Amino acid sequence: MLETTLSQLEASARARIEAARTAEELEVVRVEALGRKGTLAQISRQLGALAPEERARVGKLLNTVKQGLEEALAARKARFDEEGLRARLDAEWVDLTLPAPGVRPGSLHPVTQIQTEIEDLFTSLGFAVLDGPEVETEYHNFDALNIPPDHPARDAQDTFWFADGNLLRTHTSPVQVRGMERFKPPLRMIAPGRLFRNEEVDASHEHTFYQVEGMMIDREVSVAHLVYFMKILLDHIFGREVTVRLRPGYFPFVEPGFELDIHCLICDGAGCPVCKQSGWLELIGCGLVHPNVLRMSGIDPDEWNGFAFGMGLTRLAMMRYGIDDIRLLQSGDLRFLRQF
Amino acid sequence: MYFSYNWLCELVEGLATPPKELARLITMKTAECEGVHASGAPLPGCLPDSIIEIDNKSITHRPDLWGHLGLARELAATLRLGLRDPVKLDLIPSAPPAIGVSILDLDLCPRYSALVFDNVTVRPSPLWLQYRLRVIGLNPINNIVDVTNFVMAELAQPMHAFDQDLLHGDTIFIRRAREGEMVVALNEETYRLDPSNLVIADARGAIALAGVIGGLDSAINERTHRIVLESANFLGSNIRKTSARLKLRTDASMRFEKSQDLVNTVRGLARAVELFREISPGIRLLGGLADQRKELTPPPPILLPIDWLTRKLGRSVAPAEVRDILERLHFGVEEVVPGTFTVTVPSWRATRDISIKDDLVEEVSRMIGYDTIVPQPPLMAVVEPPASPERLFHRQVRLVLTQQGFTEAYNYSFLSEERARALGFDPQEHLRVANPISSEQALMRMSLLPGIYRNLVENSKHLESFRLFEIGREIHKREAGLPREVPHLMAALYERDGAAEMSELKRACECLLPGAEVRPVEARHYEHPARAGEVLRRDRVVGRLFELHPSLLAGRAALLDLDLELIFQLGVREKRYRPIRRFPSSAFDLSVVVAERELVGDLRRRIVSLAGEQLEEIEFLRQYAGPPIPAGQKSVSFRLTVAAPDRTLSLEEVGEIRTHVITGLRELGYELRL
Repeated sequence: MLETTLSQLEASARARIEAARTAEELEVVRVEALGRKGTLAQISRQLGALAPEERARVGKLLNTVKQGLEEALAARKARFDEEGLRARLDAEWVDLTLPAPGVRPGSLHPVTQIQTEIEDLFTSLGFAVLDGPEVETEYHNFDALNIPPDHPARDAQDTFWFADGNLLRTHTSPVQVRGMERFKPPLRMIAPGRLFRNEEVDASHEHTFYQVEGMMIDREVSVAHLVYFMKILLDHIFGREVTVRLRPGYFPFVEPGFELDIHCLICDGAGCPVCKQSGWLELIGCGLVHPNVLRMSGIDPDEWNGFAFGMGLTRLAMMRYGIDDIRLLQSGDLRFLRQF
Repeated sequence: MYFSYNWLCELVEGLATPPKELARLITMKTAECEGVHASGAPLPGCLPDSIIEIDNKSITHRPDLWGHLGLARELAATLRLGLRDPVKLDLIPSAPPAIGVSILDLDLCPRYSALVFDNVTVRPSPLWLQYRLRVIGLNPINNIVDVTNFVMAELAQPMHAFDQDLLHGDTIFIRRAREGEMVVALNEETYRLDPSNLVIADARGAIALAGVIGGLDSAINERTHRIVLESANFLGSNIRKTSARLKLRTDASMRFEKSQDLVNTVRGLARAVELFREISPGIRLLGGLADQRKELTPPPPILLPIDWLTRKLGRSVAPAEVRDILERLHFGVEEVVPGTFTVTVPSWRATRDISIKDDLVEEVSRMIGYDTIVPQPPLMAVVEPPASPERLFHRQVRLVLTQQGFTEAYNYSFLSEERARALGFDPQEHLRVANPISSEQALMRMSLLPGIYRNLVENSKHLESFRLFEIGREIHKREAGLPREVPHLMAALYERDGAAEMSELKRACECLLPGAEVRPVEARHYEHPARAGEVLRRDRVVGRLFELHPSLLAGRAALLDLDLELIFQLGVREKRYRPIRRFPSSAFDLSVVVAERELVGDLRRRIVSLAGEQLEEIEFLRQYAGPPIPAGQKSVSFRLTVAAPDRTLSLEEVGEIRTHVITGLRELGYELRL
């Protein structure tokens, strides 16, 4: 008798569990079937009236039904939870193609970027990075570099002068002199910076540009060492092995003096408009430090030797980024500057 | 400098290298060739020629390369070919001179040589001579002048011919000009001279500006019958000075300023004699050579130790090869001491170019070829280089600013007077360039503002809003010595329609300088009168934060100017660990009603001092104006966090602090909203 009631109860409860459409409806079903005053509880209270034998059998059945309903309820509930979560997550849809708000980082000037790379390279090779004034004495810019007054080499560097005889440095080489005055050899240094030439400005000429100067003074310094460092520098800057050549060049503060050319990066030596069909690009002026220069800075040339080099950062930046108008570098034009 | 290929072929025996290859060879061994050009249509009977162009700047140290023979010597040495010296010294007769020469300053004129010719016919040169001059860019004039130019182009020895019948007296004087002495030159310009200039003079006055240009009064003309041919040597630096002062550069002055070879004066005359005979038939020499010179002791030979040379090059060279190279270049080589060459320098290289053993390193290395030197890492002591913390600080500044959206610009160090005035700067306070090309370069910047202002104006034409900055040097003139160069940062934030929030810039400033304060200050000419402040760090003014005066720009711009030198000197923040607090803190809020323009910074400072030692943190929450706050006033709210290092503060203790602050504020006249 009770058994029949139980299986009817179970069937109806299961049907209602399946039919429940919300967590709340399901809770109503649970309370009615499994609650303290629920249908199963009522049946369990009637068990005491049964014979012990029957009581055990029905009791067992009761437990099975109870357990089965609990499982069905839990499964149904899990589905509701899952659906609820899914719905919530779905409602949280965002358009990922929307542009992100906020300020974007700015960029550093292309010359700053190249200069930083070169500073880091030479720092890693044990070189100091030194600085000097932009307004220089005639002595540091010329005389101490073996360019006395009325020397024709002064023609190569059109100079801005001040009434008191000082000038705007025409190269970063005076920092070499200041370096030698300040530090005793051995000395390894580079000096990047701004310099000035009294020239009319056009697409390929500027009165304001940037160089890096370098120098190494030690007991034994040879042309072979100079070429070694120049190779490291150029391979590093261009990120690949570059072909270089050395040829005679005249700079009064070095002897011997060289011009260092690299294989044109555009045509790789075949000849093109960029290298004026020569296949080569002039990049670095260098040489062994002239003994007069060492002597003027109080260094004994019989004991110490050195090499020095100078390279145009402006030119390098233009080559690397394919900039065809030098004026852009000083233009402050963000349409240009933001590209780097 | 133009070189004729055909001319070089005449001077170098068996030269067959084509012009382009020759140019490459010259570039690799001697001087920089800028290119090879066709010469244009040749004159009748002339072989077409090629022009090899050499960069003048690459031969300023080589007086000999200002003539074809000099380059021919280099080519002969490079290619191991013979050299054909065109000079026949025996063409100069030994007879008493027909004219007197009197050098009054042997330092400025170490040698003056001259010959007198009679029965001269002035007429156009033969076509071969005209063509040759044309090829190298000289204009043919007449046979006499053309010969002087030809010899100059061949031997690098400038010459000048005077019409003897137009001279006064029988002696040529070489002397310093008198103060105010005038000379009318061949270019028909009149030059006013002073004693720093050297002149060639006759009994009456100056007839030429020595080493620069001849005089008009004694010039060769179609009636010229007798000439004095001058071939002299002048002190290079003096010629350069004169030519610079008079702004007159000539083919002669360009050569003399390189310090020419004394030996060459007579060689030049001998070459001219030969050419005159060919192109002015019937010409006769009157008398012999007039020649006065300063006695110079030849420079001592140079000692060249071969092992020293090897160390300098970084590769070994056989002594026989060194000797061979030097001898090909006409050096004298002896080995008095084993392992060391005693080297004598040829006269045309000895004037300035070569005087020490280092100069010989170049001679040897360029001839053996630099490509034979293998790159080698040096073996040397590891030495820690001096640090450059200021440079690293600047890098840090750049990094922070780019992260805040600012892009780096570079501006000129120059500005014009107008630009200075436009921003209210006094041009007189600026360092002034003595020789600017244009007024744009007249002054050196004392502030980065003019450059940044230009950037704002220019970029605002294309962009609605932007941020940029520059790190550069302000140049401040001083009574004596070099000016003060102060590295500054200037950052700018522009918005055409918006407010150009100064707080955005202030944030950038606080990122750079944690703990820096901004204090309102009287505005400068270019600043918004109600939006200008000083930036303080450790009680020192290190910069300014301001908005640009709205009359200067369409749109709004906020600017930050920092003295990076001073900031660096004040030191960057020292990092030091403080134990993490172990006991909980308590917080309470306060809202204070103050006048609308009362500074929140001041109020904050007062609260901090009232709160005492147990104040852990004070945070600005908000400010509010509007009902129910009376007009002209605002309510400012802070959150105060208090704590003790060794225990949890009791409610009573927190209350006491709060009451103390409130009472204190009331005593100061503030009203609180509780």
